[in-house]
Amino acid sequence: MARTFRWYQKKRGNRRTGSRTLGSIGEALFFAFFLFIGGIVLTVMISTLVIPEWQVNHEFVEHNCKVIGRRLDEKEDKGGMLYRPEFQIEYTVNGVVYRPWTYTISNPYSSGKESQQAILTKFSVGDAVTCWFNPLNPAQVVLVRGYSWWVYLVLFVPVAFIVIGAGGLIYLLLHWGKSAERRSAMTQRAQERDLFGTNGAAEHEYPNVPQRSDITNSPGTKLRYRLPIDTSPGWALFGTLLGCIIWNGLVTIMVYFAVHGHLTGKPDWILTVFSIPFVLGGLFLIVYFLRQLLVTAGIGPTLLEISDHPLHPGGEYQVFLSQSGNLNINSLSLSLVCQEKATYRQGTNTRTELHPVYRQDLFRRDNFEIPPGLPFETNCLLTVPPGAMHSFKSGHNAIDWTLVVEGDIANWPDFKRAFSVIIYPANGRTAS
Amino acid sequence: MKNEPAVVIHLGGNGHSYRPGESLSGEYAFEELSAEQIKALEVSVLWYTEGKGDEDMAVHKFWRTDIENGNVIDPQRPARFETILPNSPLSYDGQIVKVHWCVRVRAFLHRGGKEVLGQKEFRLGDIPPIKSPVQNPPDI
Repeated sequence: MARTFRWYQKKRGNRRTGSRTLGSIGEALFFAFFLFIGGIVLTVMISTLVIPEWQVNHEFVEHNCKVIGRRLDEKEDKGGMLYRPEFQIEYTVNGVVYRPWTYTISNPYSSGKESQQAILTKFSVGDAVTCWFNPLNPAQVVLVRGYSWWVYLVLFVPVAFIVIGAGGLIYLLLHWGKSAERRSAMTQRAQERDLFGTNGAAEHEYPNVPQRSDITNSPGTKLRYRLPIDTSPGWALFGTLLGCIIWNGLVTIMVYFAVHGHLTGKPDWILTVFSIPFVLGGLFLIVYFLRQLLVTAGIGPTLLEISDHPLHPGGEYQVFLSQSGNLNINSLSLSLVCQEKATYRQGTNTRTELHPVYRQDLFRRDNFEIPPGLPFETNCLLTVPPGAMHSFKSGHNAIDWTLVVEGDIANWPDFKRAFSVIIYPANGRTAS
Repeated sequence: MKNEPAVVIHLGGNGHSYRPGESLSGEYAFEELSAEQIKALEVSVLWYTEGKGDEDMAVHKFWRTDIENGNVIDPQRPARFETILPNSPLSYDGQIVKVHWCVRVRAFLHRGGKEVLGQKEFRLGDIPPIKSPVQNPPDI
């Protein structure tokens, strides 16, 4: 089927709508706009701030002058009044007397009246001081030389615009008119050049199968490898605590102003009503944190060891489970779970959907106790299904295999702890 | 009325399913297209995802023939391609993630930036399709 320029395309797998050509033109205009704005602003800043400061420090001539006046110049701005100090000085160059108002070469306005006022006390009327004037234009003079740090800090803004604009345009230029396959081949060649080390070799042999060296870097005590837990309970608790403190800290400020208004007889009912859902959210976070604290502190560590790794479809593996704590258990189970993971853009948001597609119960025991200092230990057999899909990871899609320990504890919050495993493809199997 | 140009792709072997590490070979030819019309040709063996997530795609093997480099393209004569298939990713027909393999042939024409595109799907490996989601999955 012949294709030519299209204004739009139908939705397909990646949910792209619109013509690719039009999209590229739009992207080019977007990046060109960034480059243009960055270039203009940088040029203006260099010509009005950087070069004049350099000239003052390198080309202006030192001279003597007398302070004959001083004032705080004012200017009205959208955010209020702005101020800057100015001194009137008198000096003579080549027989010509000059009496300009000056201070530094840029002498910016500032909103801090007191700080600007304080500068005025540096020089008094009648003082004989040193000044520097422009030999090409003796009327241009300063009382203070040096470099303003804020000028170079502000330069980062237009430079960032230029980097984004130029980088985007170079990227577009390199990819312009190239098919998706050619772009993908170019990207892969670049990635292959970066693949070093053992993981790189394995990635080469099994493309898009995740390489997790951390799974096999801890030897087990009963079996070959001790599997790392996906999210450490300690880190999860710390994250919850941090979120709880930040949220409730902000809520406390809102509540303070709301309560203060009521106590002083000037109640702000909008703020009061607005605060209620945030307070409820804060209370939920506190309850959630306490629940996590109970799970972490009350339920001891869960250890999982496996006889070999990575796993292969049809393969049989020994799994050792150890659960510590002082627990009255309603049920404890271990399962092998496979879930699909899809990440997609929806408007400006990026969402991830998880979809379990396989579950194999490996072990379950009901109604028993784990005494303190004597962990519950058990062995079980894990058989990977012969037709199992291998672990897979690409930019927006993944297939994850996990061993999940689930506990139902009497009078205590339930817990789930997950341990990732990697399943390799079943090579050599006959295609039907 | 003149027919639209098209690509015809034939795969060797059983033509639809292959094992990892197996050689994939085939032929492609163009219909209703003359040598003067084509300026470049691309043949790719690739996989792409389909489903709920944004599409991912990766090329396993890529050939480009460009007349600007002095290559001769005869669209009427069947051209061959061959590659050793990789160990992964295998074809997969899941619930929200699917992995498809295909041979894609793309010809770039001189006139108006037009392209002629043809694609032939095949399966890598023999992973059975996922029928239904599991009951009471753990929340992990």
